[in-house]
Amino acid sequence: MHFSFLPSVAEQLFKDIQKIYQDTSQIPDDMLIALKFVFGTCALQALDLVDQRSVTCLSSPSGRRTFQVTGGSGRTYTCFVSCHFCPCPAFAYTVLRRNEGLLCKHLLAVYLSQAMGVTQQEAVSDQEMTTLLSTTTRTDH
Amino acid sequence: MTDILTLVFKTLTSRGELAAVDDGSLSAVAPARSALVVGERALSRTMLLLAAVTAASESGLRVFFLTQTQIQSLPVALHSRVPGLTPAALKKIKFCYPRTFEELLVQVAGLHESSHSPPSSPALIIVDGLECYLCSPAPCTSSRLQTSEQCSAAHLSALLCDTASFLTQVLEKHGSAHAPCRLITSYQPQRNSEQSGEASVDSVLDVLDRYFQVRCTLDQDRSYESTSGGLQQVWNIYLSSCLEVKETSCKKDDMESKEEQPVQEWRLLLSADGLMEFKLAQKH
Repeated sequence: MHFSFLPSVAEQLFKDIQKIYQDTSQIPDDMLIALKFVFGTCALQALDLVDQRSVTCLSSPSGRRTFQVTGGSGRTYTCFVSCHFCPCPAFAYTVLRRNEGLLCKHLLAVYLSQAMGVTQQEAVSDQEMTTLLSTTTRTDH
Repeated sequence: MTDILTLVFKTLTSRGELAAVDDGSLSAVAPARSALVVGERALSRTMLLLAAVTAASESGLRVFFLTQTQIQSLPVALHSRVPGLTPAALKKIKFCYPRTFEELLVQVAGLHESSHSPPSSPALIIVDGLECYLCSPAPCTSSRLQTSEQCSAAHLSALLCDTASFLTQVLEKHGSAHAPCRLITSYQPQRNSEQSGEASVDSVLDVLDRYFQVRCTLDQDRSYESTSGGLQQVWNIYLSSCLEVKETSCKKDDMESKEEQPVQEWRLLLSADGLMEFKLAQKH
């Protein structure tokens, strides 16, 4: 069993979204309201990122995977989802420092993209993966 | 990874005391894959070395040990008390000495590469002295610097946990009996001399607590009873697992609802010649 960093209400919400999106290709209003209730203002921002297909799953020959999210300004953020980390200022301030949010919009966009099956896929070399995982600053494009 | 720490404690428990240690009391703390040892630097380092040697010799695990300061020799306590300690067992431990935070990140991030593929994948990752990599030497009063330190702590912790999850998948895929990959780190809290009154909050420790499942706190017992027995030092060791339930709320005060699981408590007796003996203190 993996140690979960999400409260069960959020996990269940993503499962429900996955199921209904598979059937209808839509997220109904009541689920959007629930998303906003659980995650606050970053819910709509995350949905915008999903609409723009901003989330990419990078994988390397070793089998290692990580996620990159392209933000609104074109900057990309390398995120961990198994245990929540994003190098964006909102994660550092709102989540870590102020403890006022569960996720930033980039991490939430990863969860939603995975639930909806719209994550882009990209292959990188093992060395490129090591660089991505260990780079301390966001990448500007 | 409470199983590794508990194994360390049991290995260095005297025979007389060992009879009193039953598995029911030890199972008070739920099994976990990651632990953060919090306390005085030298003792934490010794504990982590004990964990590495015990894991390699008693459980046959491959260990990857990262620390800033080179290890010159093994603690005295190890020589006579760890039964399976052999040169072959010690070869299972790979020591690495990254000098900076960035070098540490690269070492951990690179664990997935082919040089670390099975059968050489580590099943235990140990990082000693996180404060050496994360904290500035002077007391941190700038909120911007504090946020930067918190972000670094989160990046490193998340990378360690994510890497351990990946290595667990690798070990399981190859049918290794050593899965899951465990993680132990140590951190000595910083004292912010600018804050007065109530105990100052270590902002980096707050972040580390988010990522590690179990905290092992080392607390020196300075009571008269402890110091009068002729022993050099007596320490209380608390193993506690915390499941943090963070719910979004309008009120900041409601944020920190940590459900603490039962505590496992040990006492460590350190003699003047460096020998260590653990005793299970009490059930909770």
